Amino acid sequence: MKDTATQADELAAGTERGRPAPAVRLSRRQVPWAIGFLALVALPWATPNAYHHFILNLILINVILAVGLNIVKGFAGQVTVGHIALAAIGAYTSAVLAAKFGVPFWLALPVATLLTGLVGALVGVPSFRLEGAYLALATLGLAESVRIAIGVTDYIGAAVGFSDIPPPEAFGRAIVDHRAYYYIIMPLALVSIYFSFCILRSDIGRSFKALREDSLAAAACGVNVRKYKLLAFVISALYAGCAGSLQAHMAPGFLHPNSYTITEMVTLLLMVVLGGLGHIWGGVVGAVVVTVIYDLTRDYYQYQMAIFGSVIVLTVLYMPRGIGGVIDDYLSRRRFVAARQAKAKADAGPGADANSDAS
Amino acid sequence: MGLPAARTSFAVATAAFLTLGLAAPVQAQGTIRIGVTLRMLVENGFKYGQMTKDELDAVNAAGGINGNKLEVILLDDECKPDKGVANANRFIHQNKVHLIIGSTCSSVSLPLVDISAKEQVPQIIPHSTNTSITQKGSAWVFRTSVAERFYAAVHAKYLAENAGKKVAYLFTNDGAAISFVRDYKGYMKTTYDVEPLYEAQMQETDLDFRPHLLKIKSLNPDVLAIGGQIDAIARIAQQSYEVGIPSKVRRVSASAASNAPVPELAGDAVKGLIFAAAFSCTDERDVAKNFVKMVQDKYKVRCPDHDFSQAYETAQIVKLALSRAKLKLTDASLAEDRAAIRDALATVKDYKGLASGPINFCADPTPQCRDGNRTGILVEYTKGGKDYQMRVLARVGFEPDFGLPKK
Repeated sequence: MKDTATQADELAAGTERGRPAPAVRLSRRQVPWAIGFLALVALPWATPNAYHHFILNLILINVILAVGLNIVKGFAGQVTVGHIALAAIGAYTSAVLAAKFGVPFWLALPVATLLTGLVGALVGVPSFRLEGAYLALATLGLAESVRIAIGVTDYIGAAVGFSDIPPPEAFGRAIVDHRAYYYIIMPLALVSIYFSFCILRSDIGRSFKALREDSLAAAACGVNVRKYKLLAFVISALYAGCAGSLQAHMAPGFLHPNSYTITEMVTLLLMVVLGGLGHIWGGVVGAVVVTVIYDLTRDYYQYQMAIFGSVIVLTVLYMPRGIGGVIDDYLSRRRFVAARQAKAKADAGPGADANSDAS
Repeated sequence: MGLPAARTSFAVATAAFLTLGLAAPVQAQGTIRIGVTLRMLVENGFKYGQMTKDELDAVNAAGGINGNKLEVILLDDECKPDKGVANANRFIHQNKVHLIIGSTCSSVSLPLVDISAKEQVPQIIPHSTNTSITQKGSAWVFRTSVAERFYAAVHAKYLAENAGKKVAYLFTNDGAAISFVRDYKGYMKTTYDVEPLYEAQMQETDLDFRPHLLKIKSLNPDVLAIGGQIDAIARIAQQSYEVGIPSKVRRVSASAASNAPVPELAGDAVKGLIFAAAFSCTDERDVAKNFVKMVQDKYKVRCPDHDFSQAYETAQIVKLALSRAKLKLTDASLAEDRAAIRDALATVKDYKGLASGPINFCADPTPQCRDGNRTGILVEYTKGGKDYQMRVLARVGFEPDFGLPKK
């Protein structure tokens, strides 16, 4: 272990070379998050009415779902179409705990999230032997089985629906107002995005990416393929469980198996693909765009599917790597231009600046 | 246009679209706003939705109601609760409606009842039949459709007396079908102390019901009770003949059998199928004949089913209630106006229109007061296919507290 003096010397040397010290770098990285948090805190007060608070809540729930799906699909490259079933499991678990056993929301939410994580581990097991379309079919089977099981289980409302799921309570008051509920969902959504970045930058994230590129090569490099595949499914399921629980307790507190069909799964996939597979911010933007477009096209219901189809076609034509890909292109172009300008400046020599100043 | 330029244009257009769309609309003063959410994207769904809107919009051409114009916002909920909830939230908070009409499916109407109660907006339900909708005790909910507790008894009583008490139930997992079977079984149990001969539940999307039907055939039932939506009813009716269940076994179905595609899809297999409904296009009354002609001429539907008639009836009752309500129609008076419309709806008494029986509402937030139509008609298909025919077998009215749990 290096002694304190050596570390201090290295730190000082780094600062002298013009590189910021690690502690400073960390806080700089957190500044945008703090600004984002403050902006999101203020957002409901800048929107015109409670309907927009409702839409904001839907967007944030979809953000959690999309970011979670991006981990297993975008980072780890596992083709799953069972994510919506995991959300259903989270939603119904939380609803049963709260409505049937009187468990408060604040406990039902983490329990439902963890239980969904466990189910995620089971969902991940087929990925040891299946890949691509075969894994998609297996997870599709799970999704449909869950929906059908809910639809025939009287205890949870079957096909009539699960009513009267209690809202969260805080300081003795039920949170049924959409703006108040926003302040429960928003921090969780922000934490889920931040957590996703942490995963991406960690060894786990790099192992996920190695899996995505080539699982055989990853195994040859020492990545425990089974462990990381399972971990991707579990983490993704935790996101889905959390989003499901938040869905369940949002007013009017009603769940129905028809809200977890293949159509919802495709919409969720659209968010991730539109945003850009493997891009965290892309997934976030995808969730926002899809939710808002869906809402704006509500008046034109007879053309809604055509509008959605057009969005997909335009995305594939003009943004084949999604919004995240466009952002990547823009950033790399900017970096390239900046590097070229710096090189040109260096080539021009030290007198170039003085000349240009004079002119 | 180069690719980068096209991308930029696409991004700018999307951003502008989103920004403009999120702006709150300006509400016109002196206008009665009505939000309609129905299952639209099915056979005839768009037509009866449009008819509801047209009926209400027509008031404006005649000078409005008490000089007030109507503004109708029509949305599709696809029979999905989350879509219906989003529609209702939009109606209430964005459009600031005075009244909500909807929905078609019970699974959508159920959460809407909670929303309209919480936000104190009157809601009138044209189609949903699930018995528990009005049992929630909301003071803001009214139903013009016939509740399943009445329909089930119409079937059960007639068939127990005319066909037999050995009933096999085959149904899919939709809310109305479950309610139909539950209430039918309940009536048979409480009235005759008879248990089901056979019972099986399948998925809405299932195609092959023959394994269950073969089992049912071997049990030799008096009645085959079919619960489901349009496709399932038609398939089960057809497949029941394919497996050899004789025609002497009476086929009875949930009210969805009244939808026009059922006899068209099932063909001859629909002959003899009995269902309870709120309306038959063979109704000989002048009001019914005029209605059928109007639908034929304007919406090109040969024989409007009870989804049409109930949507039309609901629009007429809304107009009647609005003409009675004393409305101020300012931003400040929104809550007061909503309460006035609720109170006006509660004054609708003995309204005789297209429905199978008179519609009565009253002020108490109970099923007795809010299930307006307590009369069902029993209809039998006499011919299937495109030119299907039917006849009314019986018309049965009930007391308001019929089928409710005894206190």
